[in-house]
Amino acid sequence: MDKCIACGACSQKCPKKVVNEYDAGMSKRKAIYVEYAQAVPLKYAIDDTQCFYLTKGKCGKCAETCPTGAINYEDRAKDLEFQVGAVICASGCKTYDPATHDVYGYNRSRNIVTSLEFERILSSSGPYGGHMVRPSGKNEPKKIAWLQCVGSRDVHIGAKGYCSSVCCTYAVKEAMLAVDHAKDGLDAAIFYMDIRTHGKDFERYYNQARDEFGVRFVKSKITNIVPTEDGNQLIRYIDEYGKLAEEAFDIVVLSVGLEVGESTLQLAHTLDIKLDKYNFVSTTSFDPQATSTPGVFVCGAVEAPKDIPSSVIEASASAGSAGSFLSESRWSLTRQKKLPAELNIRGERPRIGVFVCCCGTNIAGVVDVPSVVEYVKNLPYVTFSTQGLFSCSQDALNNLADIIKAEKLNRVVVAACTPKTHETLFQETLATTGLNKYVFEMVNIRNHCSWVHKNSPDIATEKARDLIRMAVNKVALMGPLNEVELEINQSALVIGGGIAGMQAAKTLSRQGYHTSLIEREKQLGGKGLDIHETWQGENVAENVSRLIADIRNDANIDIYTGGHISHVDGFVGNFTTTVQTTDSTVDLEHGVTIIASGASEFKPEQYLYDEDDRVITGLELDRKLTADDPVLEQIKTAVFIQCVGSRIPARPYCSKVCCTHSIKNGLTLKKRNPEMNIYILYRDMRPYGLREDLYREAREKGIIFLRYNFEKGIDIDYDGDNLQVQFTDTIMRRNLAINPDMLVLATAIIPPEKNPLAQQYKVTLNNDGFFMEAHAKLRPVDCSTDGVFLCGLSHGPKPIDESVSQAIAAATRAVTLLARKTIAISGTVAEVSPQECSECGGCVSICPYSAPSFIEASARFFPGKAQINPALCKGCGICVASCRSGAIHLLGFDNDQIMSQIAAIY
Amino acid sequence: MSDWEPKIVAFLCNSCSYGAADLAGVGRMQYPANIRIIRIPCSGRMSPKFVLSALMQGADGVWVSG
Repeated sequence: MDKCIACGACSQKCPKKVVNEYDAGMSKRKAIYVEYAQAVPLKYAIDDTQCFYLTKGKCGKCAETCPTGAINYEDRAKDLEFQVGAVICASGCKTYDPATHDVYGYNRSRNIVTSLEFERILSSSGPYGGHMVRPSGKNEPKKIAWLQCVGSRDVHIGAKGYCSSVCCTYAVKEAMLAVDHAKDGLDAAIFYMDIRTHGKDFERYYNQARDEFGVRFVKSKITNIVPTEDGNQLIRYIDEYGKLAEEAFDIVVLSVGLEVGESTLQLAHTLDIKLDKYNFVSTTSFDPQATSTPGVFVCGAVEAPKDIPSSVIEASASAGSAGSFLSESRWSLTRQKKLPAELNIRGERPRIGVFVCCCGTNIAGVVDVPSVVEYVKNLPYVTFSTQGLFSCSQDALNNLADIIKAEKLNRVVVAACTPKTHETLFQETLATTGLNKYVFEMVNIRNHCSWVHKNSPDIATEKARDLIRMAVNKVALMGPLNEVELEINQSALVIGGGIAGMQAAKTLSRQGYHTSLIEREKQLGGKGLDIHETWQGENVAENVSRLIADIRNDANIDIYTGGHISHVDGFVGNFTTTVQTTDSTVDLEHGVTIIASGASEFKPEQYLYDEDDRVITGLELDRKLTADDPVLEQIKTAVFIQCVGSRIPARPYCSKVCCTHSIKNGLTLKKRNPEMNIYILYRDMRPYGLREDLYREAREKGIIFLRYNFEKGIDIDYDGDNLQVQFTDTIMRRNLAINPDMLVLATAIIPPEKNPLAQQYKVTLNNDGFFMEAHAKLRPVDCSTDGVFLCGLSHGPKPIDESVSQAIAAATRAVTLLARKTIAISGTVAEVSPQECSECGGCVSICPYSAPSFIEASARFFPGKAQINPALCKGCGICVASCRSGAIHLLGFDNDQIMSQIAAIY
Repeated sequence: MSDWEPKIVAFLCNSCSYGAADLAGVGRMQYPANIRIIRIPCSGRMSPKFVLSALMQGADGVWVSG
């Protein structure tokens, strides 16, 4: 595998064509192949079930073709043994196969596809090159339908009773992409039971699809699909008013659900971990990564169907839970690399060496490499140039180091493949010779030249010459850059003493780090103090008390209750936060910050709330249930109203927990008094994932769910004695009235109106007032400001289990910084020439990472001028481009360097 | 028809478009050889001066992608 350079020659020569699973069977691949273009590591593999040589003993074309001798037919699957302290089960899920119990005609028509197949149809690397066409005739569709809940929320044979949680949002995404792909307009329609866009910012996405992309959402129940004479599919359905309707489409996409694969059953058996009735790994809300076997942790869709952000959060959380076990052995198996002292090349005339790689025939097969090498010799400051068969091979790297020393080179250009994968390798080689790693440029004459201009060798050769000339010009102006190391203060600060904050503090302490926790209130516990039970039926008060005791008894955790933050200074690795409590002011020094400042329950000014004692919020009902309030005994009829203050223009997000919360509380009331009439008035019921079972149970137990007409709204009539809830039911299209003894408002989760933390720690809030993560999918607990992490309700509405996961994840991400003890700062950062700075503040306001600031007015040198903290700078160069005085320089990408590249083109 | 070919300077963001150009290579997608790629750390680094400089020196087009 070390020898494979992923040139793909083997695959081109391979005579065996195989159905490509990655394209969902819609295209062919070879028996030697990479599964997909972005595969890591990018290495070709032989499919041993298909290869002629391995199955019949003849062929061997790939071994003949391979330029590096990387083919090894003797390689076999091996059993490997590892001694480990913990195991993380992340074996994922598969999609429901609609072919098995074919109710929609999936086997009958090629134009009925699964959502994964449709993903491949849309993909530029897919079977149709990103051209959206019908699989049957390759003509462009005019109408596409998505059918939701295929294999989910369905207790019939073969299907699953739970909600797969991700399909509504992915269907919305696919519909929007399809509309974008269609050249002549597209009618996209999503047939659904409830739209469940419960994730952070997903509701906005749904609104955008409907309002801006014209995607139709059809509330319906599909009866069947029949082919029409012109090859289309006629969908027959019962609409939201209970009437039969039908409509024909060119393509029907089945939004298939997620389920646990067979191999996971075997794994669960081997690891001896408990599975639930759907074969998902069983977990609890307060330790959501722990399985039934100590030391075995779980993350991702093998625990329950879930989306990418939740899976990534759980990945960090499970790594952290395992890490807590292993924290004592941290760094015990690592070795330190030794490098020679750096040579001083400042003031030397450039002596540039250019190394042109042939990459076997990948480059040399198209580009005339010898002529390029000759050409390069005449460029300014080039004192040496040569070619190599594979510049990245170990002997070539040794050779490179020898030549640098022998020729006394002080600048190096390598013309080969992409710097994104190989720059570090060459830079490390430079470092072994004593050269600074930044006196280096890489030219991509493979991906950007020989591979994409295969049929025009002359033009490709000319382009390679141009690209190398540009790099030579630039590298002559490159100088050594410093990579400074900053010490990281080895303690943490957690803001907020709710469930998330306490869990984060506990995790940090278990990982061996001193932690301070600030809570605004006198009491720890946050909103957890108000909640009766989790959706899984765990007693919240007991668990919160246990968490409080855990952190109170932990000598490694300092708790400041009744405290608030008056001042914050510093940056990643070196924060100073001033905390004021009633009796003292403390300056806390910490390397990382975790924000778990929470959110609160919306108190509405409608539905007679605060005017009539019978009208209460969801959490107020929890308090009554916890206190076993005798009032509950008197209630004959209870009505819940969903989405109070959520999913409205002023607050266009879904509060995620309220549907499940109302169902759970409805069931608790029913258990106490089976005779009680319970009505839940909703817009879309969103008990996502495994919570669907609760919803089914509620209906079975007689709780009545009524979808009300949102446009017409709900009126509460009050005659001085009786409460009357009046609304229009969508199915019956009738005005209904219910007289409850208790009206429970499932109100929104809202962020604080003013959030000084955002300013103090320089982190951004989203449009709804929740903290924004650095990347919604890939960095869901990091802030874009380094050293600050997020968890719990301050990041967005979520249930307890997700808050706990996120808290462990945030603490774990913080530990990845703390454990390093120092931060190496990249050399390619922005730098201010204070003499030229006009103090306009453009850089201070534009930088997304808060790296620039003004030098204090009392400073001895350059007071008031801008300065850039290299520890925070990501080297993007936005400040450089926006600086009207030309005072900022981006090291490694400075104006003169880029200008020199431009100049070299002509 | 003359055999004139335009030369286009392409400023590609290292975080996205530069990688996309790499992937185009991995996928062996063939396209005309008229662009000369300059890697910049982010399209935020782009300055109007680069566009003007390229045009003044004879570029027939400037492409910024990020």
